[in-house]
Amino acid sequence: MLLELSRISKSFGPVEVLSEVDLSIDAGEVCALVGDNGAGKSTLVKCIAGIHAIDSGTIAVEGDSHEIGSPRDAAALGIEVVYQDLALCDNLDVVENMFLGREKLRGVVLDDDAMEQLAAETLESLAVRTIRNLRQTVASLSGGQRQTVAIAKAVLWNSRLVILDEPTAALGVAQTRQVLELIRRLADQGLAVLYISHNLNDVFAVADRIAALYLGRMAAVLDAADTTQSQVVELITSGRSNGLGITDSNGVQP
Amino acid sequence: MARPATEELRRRNRSALLDRLHRRGPQTRAELTEALGLNRSTIGALASDLSESGHIQETTGRPTGAAGRPSTLVECVPEAATVAAVEVRWKRLRLAVVGLGGTVLRRDEVPIAPGADGAAVAKAAAALLADAEVSDAIAAVPGLVDGGTVAQSSELGWADRDFGADLESATGRVWRVVDVATAAAVGEWSRGDAHGVANLLYLHGGHGLTAGWVVDGRPRRGSSIMLGHIVVNPGGQRCRCGLSGCVEAEMGTFDFSETIDETTIAARLGDTAAREMVRRSGEFLGLALGAVVTATNPDEILFGGWLRELYLSSAAAVRSSLAEATLPQLRARLRLRTAALGAQGPLTGAAEIGFEALMERMRLMWLARQDSNLE
Ligand SMILES: Nc1ncnc2c1ncn2[C@@H]1O[C@H](COP(=O)(O)OP(=O)(O)O)[C@@H](O)[C@H]1O
Ligand SMILES: [Mg+2]
Ligand SMILES: [Zn+2]
Repeated sequence: MLLELSRISKSFGPVEVLSEVDLSIDAGEVCALVGDNGAGKSTLVKCIAGIHAIDSGTIAVEGDSHEIGSPRDAAALGIEVVYQDLALCDNLDVVENMFLGREKLRGVVLDDDAMEQLAAETLESLAVRTIRNLRQTVASLSGGQRQTVAIAKAVLWNSRLVILDEPTAALGVAQTRQVLELIRRLADQGLAVLYISHNLNDVFAVADRIAALYLGRMAAVLDAADTTQSQVVELITSGRSNGLGITDSNGVQP
Repeated sequence: MARPATEELRRRNRSALLDRLHRRGPQTRAELTEALGLNRSTIGALASDLSESGHIQETTGRPTGAAGRPSTLVECVPEAATVAAVEVRWKRLRLAVVGLGGTVLRRDEVPIAPGADGAAVAKAAAALLADAEVSDAIAAVPGLVDGGTVAQSSELGWADRDFGADLESATGRVWRVVDVATAAAVGEWSRGDAHGVANLLYLHGGHGLTAGWVVDGRPRRGSSIMLGHIVVNPGGQRCRCGLSGCVEAEMGTFDFSETIDETTIAARLGDTAAREMVRRSGEFLGLALGAVVTATNPDEILFGGWLRELYLSSAAAVRSSLAEATLPQLRARLRLRTAALGAQGPLTGAAEIGFEALMERMRLMWLARQDSNLE
C-alpha cells in the first residue's frame, strides 16, 4: 500500500471530528472519499497534508510510519495536494508555474528550452490537448486549464500521492469532464489518487474504490465495480447499507 | 544457392526495426539496441540499410534528461510509405493520409448527403483522395462489416452494400473496409492510452451505437458488435432496425448525436427532464454493456464519440446497472475509460490497420529478395 491510515483520530476542542479512521490507497488507483458536509473529509486531507496534527493513529507511506508535521514533510514524502484556490502565480507562464518552487530542489539547472520540453512531455503524457501555448501566463487560462496545470505539476515532480479536494466544484461542465479524465490518467500512470467530491456521478466516473465517511467515522470502503449509487447514498446519509457500515460496540447496526 | 542464415536474420531484423520505429516513434540507437535485443553493430548496419532505402533518417533530437546533451534519434521518414484512411459518417466524409511513423500528412473533410449510397460516397472519397499516391487504402464505416461488405449500418441506412467494390470502381484500387468502432479500438491500442490491453472493447456513439472488439490490438472477423440493437426493454420503443426495445431506441440516440452537449450540460445544471434522460440512458447503456461484458470478458472498455459525454455524465447509473447485470468475476478488473484520441481515433486506427498490412508486405518482400538491396 502506498498510503495506509490507521485509527486516525482528531478533535477540535471537545468536538471529535475524526474517530479511528482507517483507509489505505494503492499506487495506480483512484480512491474517492465521499460524505455529507461536515463528515470530516477536508480535515482528513489536512491531516495527511501536514496542516493538522493528528491526535492519535498512524500514517504510513509504503509501509513506513511517518510523522507529517508540515506541508513540507508531506511534499518530501511525495504527497501533493491540489487545493481549490490553487497555488499558481498569475503573472508567470505555464512552464514557469510547473517548475515554481522546485527549481533548486533537484540540484540541476535546466535551461528554458529543457523546462518547456519537460512540461510539454508531461502534459502530452496526460493527453492534455487543451493548453496549446505553454508560454502564456496562467492569468489567461480558464479554471479548468489552471486545474490541469496544477495537476500536471504533481506528475512532473514525481509525486506518488495526489489529493484533490473538490477539484471540479467551481468548474463548468466541459472542464469538469477534462479534469475527470485527467484524474483517471494520473492513476493509470501509477500515481495514487485521493479524490474528494460531492458529485457521485463524478466519483463513479473515475474511482476504483469509494470510501464513505459518516460523522467522522469510516462507514465503508467499497470497490466501485461492486457497488451501486443507491448503496453509496445510503452510506453517506445513514452510515450503513444492507449489512455494510458502522456498527455499535455490540456489533449491532444503530 | 542457400542464403546465409545471417543475411536472412538481417532482413527479418530490418522489418522489426522499422516496425518498432513506426509504432513507438523516434528513438536513440541505444534504445533500439535494448528493445530489439540486438548488438550495437547490428543496429548500426540495419539503420544504414534503412536510411539508404529512404525509410528512416537520423536527427539531432531532444536533450535527454537534465544533462542536456542532445542525442541522435532514429526516426521514420513519413513520405517513405503512406496509407489513406477515410471515415464515412452520416453527414460527412473525412480523409487522412498518414505517413510511416504515424505522421498525418494531410487531412480533409467533405459533407455528404444524408442517405447517400455506397457508390456516391465512394465517388466523394475518390475526389477527396485526388491523385495521392498511397501504398494502402482503408475505409472505416459505422455498422456491421464483413470483408468489404457493409452488412448493416443504421447510421448510413445501408444493408448488404459491397462498399469495397464501390470504392474499387471509383478509385481503381483495392480498399479494405472496417467498422468505425473497431478502427477506433485499434487506434487507441496503437497510439492512444490502451496500449497493452489484451482484450479491448471500444464503444462508439455516432448516429447510432456500435462497438469494436480487438484482441492484442488486432481486429478479427466478426469484431464489430451491434451494440445499439441489444434489446434492453422487450416490447419497448420501436427501433428503426425493426426490433423493439433496443438500447438505441430506448436511449433516443438519434437525437443524442446532435444534442448530447446540451442535454448533459442541462442535466449538470439541474434540469430535471435532462437529468432523468441522462440517468435512464446511463442505466440502459449499463444493461446493454452487461450483456456485452458477459459475452466478451474485456479488460477495458473505452467510451468514444458522444458516449464520452454520456458516460462522464451518467457514470453512476452506468456502473450501477452494470454491477447488477454482470458476474463479480467479470467486472472485478474491468476498466472503464474514455477514449484518449477523441474524434481522431477511427482515422488513426484505420491507418494503423493499413500499416499493419503494409509492414507485412514489406517484410515478405525483403525476405524474398536475393540481394541485400531494398529497392
Ligand atoms: N479548524 C477547525 N476548527 C474547529 N472545527 C473545525 C475546523 N475544521 C473543521 N472543523 C469542523 O470539523 C467538522 C468536519 O469538517 P470538514 O472536515 O471540513 O468536513 P467536510 O470536508 O467533510 O465537509 C465540521 O463540523 C467542521 O465544523
Ligand atoms: Mg470539505
Ligand atoms: Zn434496433
